[in-house]
Amino acid sequence: MSSTQNVAEILLNLAKDISISGNEKSFTDKIKSYFANEEMNCDALNSLRVQTYGTGKFKFLLDAHIDQIGLIVTDITENGFIKVASIGGVDSRILSSCDVLIKSRGKDYKGVVSSIPPHLSERKEGTASEVSDLLIDIGLSKTEAEKVVRRGDVVAFNYPFEKLINEKVVSASLDNKVGVTVLIRVYQILKEMKADADVTFVFSSQEELGLRGAKCASFNQDADEAIVVDVSFSTAPDVNNVDGKDMGKGPLICVSPIIDKKISDNMISVSEEKQIPYQIEVCSKSTGTNADVVSVSNYGIKTGLVSVPIRNMHTFSEVVSLEDIELSAKLIAEYILKKVKEHD
Amino acid sequence: MTDSLKQLCLLNGISGREDDVRKYIVDKLESFTDCSYRVDALGNVIVEKKGKKTPEKRIMIDAHMDEVGLIVTHITDDGFIRFSSVGGIETGILLGKRVAVNSLNGVIGVKPIHLLDKENAKKISDEKELYIDIGAETKADAEKYVRPGDSVYFVSEFYEFGDGLIKAKAIDDRLGCALLLDLLEKESEYDFVATFSTQEEIGTRGASVLVSQVRPDYAIVLETTTACDLDGIDESKKVCKLGNGPVVSFMDRGTIYDRDLYNKAFEVASENNIPIQTKSLVAGGNNASAIHQSFGGVKTLAISVACRYLHSPSCVISSKDIKPTYELLNKMIGCLCND
Repeated sequence: MSSTQNVAEILLNLAKDISISGNEKSFTDKIKSYFANEEMNCDALNSLRVQTYGTGKFKFLLDAHIDQIGLIVTDITENGFIKVASIGGVDSRILSSCDVLIKSRGKDYKGVVSSIPPHLSERKEGTASEVSDLLIDIGLSKTEAEKVVRRGDVVAFNYPFEKLINEKVVSASLDNKVGVTVLIRVYQILKEMKADADVTFVFSSQEELGLRGAKCASFNQDADEAIVVDVSFSTAPDVNNVDGKDMGKGPLICVSPIIDKKISDNMISVSEEKQIPYQIEVCSKSTGTNADVVSVSNYGIKTGLVSVPIRNMHTFSEVVSLEDIELSAKLIAEYILKKVKEHD
Repeated sequence: MTDSLKQLCLLNGISGREDDVRKYIVDKLESFTDCSYRVDALGNVIVEKKGKKTPEKRIMIDAHMDEVGLIVTHITDDGFIRFSSVGGIETGILLGKRVAVNSLNGVIGVKPIHLLDKENAKKISDEKELYIDIGAETKADAEKYVRPGDSVYFVSEFYEFGDGLIKAKAIDDRLGCALLLDLLEKESEYDFVATFSTQEEIGTRGASVLVSQVRPDYAIVLETTTACDLDGIDESKKVCKLGNGPVVSFMDRGTIYDRDLYNKAFEVASENNIPIQTKSLVAGGNNASAIHQSFGGVKTLAISVACRYLHSPSCVISSKDIKPTYELLNKMIGCLCND
């Protein structure tokens, strides 16, 4: 099996699950299946920690958030439509006539977000509706709707995982099932290399609500260095090379005042030594990722950030290069291996 | 009926590119008895259905085969596809949607919300700023698969949900095609002519050459029409409602319907206990516009099924409206033939 095929299978398997912030618990079971026989535990906020052991001389914490953005049911209208609020940074421009699933007590209900033709609408033409003004059509009367849907149920985008050309795929929730895939691949690569490393794999919840899961999951962790893995912006016709980096040209190594400079520099050296293509992503302040909180947890942890470029972030059609995912995992595994050797 | 509707909706055919839909219809017609058909220069399928009796009046029943979609206009240097819409598509429903170009998967790109300032966070870009991503990396790479002029279709799962609702792309007007095929399959009391027309969505162009060929006394247009029966919408702006039966309009932006036919439809519905509704707004238009003013004029009626989110990848109808629409159509044929 080629490495991108393996990546595609992991990502597809993960993307089938819905893990909207605050509702990640069942998804952690799926992640666990990739770490059979390892020590693991879930914390109070439903972040999952998996521990592997080495010599104990140099300890890593690897973090990827497992939650995805979505909507939450706030009300049921007179005519049985569902009113919602956002969970995380939902882009209201994309919601008109989009397909959704409402998850309620173990069952899924299909629906469509309403769209009102401009000539019948009050809103200014060329402007998106507010999330609070949207209605979800589940085709039921109020009485029937109230039997199956409850306030507080979460609503997910309902679009399939599909392949594009050139080893790219499109799916909802690639932010951050891509990061989770990278961590799983790092674990697999280290296993293949028979490298025993002290790594705490942290699959953290509620990132999209303000990095809450990672804040708690990295608390009291005895790590010498942390590496956070997330997605970042790819260039596109409407995203220039200041705001984004190119897709298919390797992982983004972050350089930022909040990121440990030595880690960034060492990652660049490892990339060059191992001939792994990379790109430098510069953040002038905080990074908007879990690196912001992991680096200041406990007494502070030296933290690095590796990102995978995606397009259409926070939509149901996020696009990623499978090769970028594999290269990101390879870079991190090689980096860990080098550090382990240095401390042997 | 749901089966044939599903098959028809999943077929692709923007205006002027109705080939796959026509093939499906022609294949069906081949297996029907009492039907003879021909295809005209614009691709319209004209079917003569032989009934038990040949009535004095010639009735033509029309449904259009084309759907709204997009057409490739340009490929950028970095392999993205620019497009124009074919038919009336609100730009806002395009963002992030899944599409197919020559059976490749694609997606309409969206600038991440994180990169927009407050002023632009709610702004829908102009269609000309949008692009399709098929994963190509260069212009030459994309050109291996796509050329300007190629058709682009919505990719949308067909499903039933809620209390008898159906969601799919292209329900406008594959539902009309499915109803018409159903009518042609069954034994008919009277002769009639069925037309499966092209290019409705870009100005009722296919239908504009039908009357000269068919020479009907009466025409019935089978359609879907916008329903906006949502909370927070003025009663009059709801236009019509799902589940309330076929929609017969007195006037839209293309036609003022023959008053006698309109009244007759309501009488027939009432006599046969068929639910019926009208549009509470003068809006929209359909092939009636072209048909009623062709070749000296034809008395025309439109019978439509109420459809939410029309011209989007997720059109929604109620399956409960299908049977009464079929019944009204059937009764109206009998009624007009005996007129």
